[in-house]
Amino acid sequence: MRSLPTGQYIPGHSFLHRLDARAKILCLFILMAAVIGAASLWGYALVLVAIALLVLLSRLPLRSAVAPVRGVYWFLLVIFLMNTLFFGGEDVLASWGIFQIAPAGIKQGFRVVGNVVLILILGNLLTMTTLPTQVTTALASLIKPLKFIGVPTEDVALIISIALHFIPTFMEETELIKMAQIARGARFESRKLSERAASFIPLVVPVFISAFRRADALALAMEARGYRNAKNRTKREKAPLVAGDYCALMVCALICLVQIFLRP
Amino acid sequence: MSKLSSVKRSIITAACIGLCVVLPMAFHAIPNAGTLFSPMHIPVLLAGLICGWSFGLLCGLAGPLLSALITGMPPLAYLPSMLVELAAYGLVCGLMFELVRTEKLYADLYISLVVALLAGRIVAGIAKALLFSAGSYSLAAWTTSYFVLTWPAIVIQLALVPAIVAALMKAKLIPERYPAAA
Repeated sequence: MRSLPTGQYIPGHSFLHRLDARAKILCLFILMAAVIGAASLWGYALVLVAIALLVLLSRLPLRSAVAPVRGVYWFLLVIFLMNTLFFGGEDVLASWGIFQIAPAGIKQGFRVVGNVVLILILGNLLTMTTLPTQVTTALASLIKPLKFIGVPTEDVALIISIALHFIPTFMEETELIKMAQIARGARFESRKLSERAASFIPLVVPVFISAFRRADALALAMEARGYRNAKNRTKREKAPLVAGDYCALMVCALICLVQIFLRP
Repeated sequence: MSKLSSVKRSIITAACIGLCVVLPMAFHAIPNAGTLFSPMHIPVLLAGLICGWSFGLLCGLAGPLLSALITGMPPLAYLPSMLVELAAYGLVCGLMFELVRTEKLYADLYISLVVALLAGRIVAGIAKALLFSAGSYSLAAWTTSYFVLTWPAIVIQLALVPAIVAALMKAKLIPERYPAAA
């Protein structure tokens, strides 16, 4: 647990690393829409080329870029089989009870698995080239328009930023509690479901109590220093989007637009 | 619960969001723990119960989103349905706990939890059927993924969440719901 799993930020100076986090998050959503909207072979070829280019531009090792896909082989197989066997359709190739294998089902299976794989790689590229703090700041900036419908966006941003600062502390404490429970005989790796469930409880309860103690102390300290709300806070850095960010957004929007024309 | 200040509600929600990221990582090493125990659900339910529906909703949205962006869990492909499910848990749990007052803490907690767990699953199922897996989602798939495969998570949540709330009240980290009865 000391090292983050796949998706951890890898420092670098590539084009993707230098892009503004707000632009990267928006690009991610646009490209996700392009992937989900792909309905033809040419459509998939387009998003595949775009993602391959992004991997090249990120200068990340290919192994790291596709790492999340390697971890979910079995899951991908299950969703492929579920779609293939239950989708049905005409020209049934084989059937067995409630299961039916038809070309439409196989196509749907490949489509769903393809979408999952491509979106996994896109998400991974964002998290591997963007610092978590940049992601939070960008999210806070992107949700600002919600202010007009009464959402306290400054408070939301503050909560997310404090959450982010809590994570390393909680990780350390959870690890300590886990070690202590293993020393007391907890069997996290047991094959028996009941033993695994039993080992879960003595870990979770102390973690929550410890987290709430920290939250209580921090809230008390903030109130004692006169903190009331986040509405009137100012930011030290105000970096506007630059030409490169706008270019990236335009290219992604173009890919999405072309995808619409490629639909059969 | 009304005695909790807005600052404290915010910080507790932040802690719950932090736990949404940390708990799945802690259980990453335990085989199949994510599916079996759904560790991310517990902080969301707690945020709804302790801080109210708006904070529960925020925790349900921000927790999985932040976890996906930082650790890649849940993968972005499953994130939308999980966001809907967890947001419904936080929202309904908070609303129910505000509305239900039986003068018995555990009865309030269990009613709120059961309604929230059902509502979250129903909302997520509808979202999957209509939006995220439109045309390829069935009642059998919903029952399997939300009840059959995750029954240990339901049992653990029903056992743990009230116990944690009671423990937090006992430790005076959150105000008593019925101080006179204590």
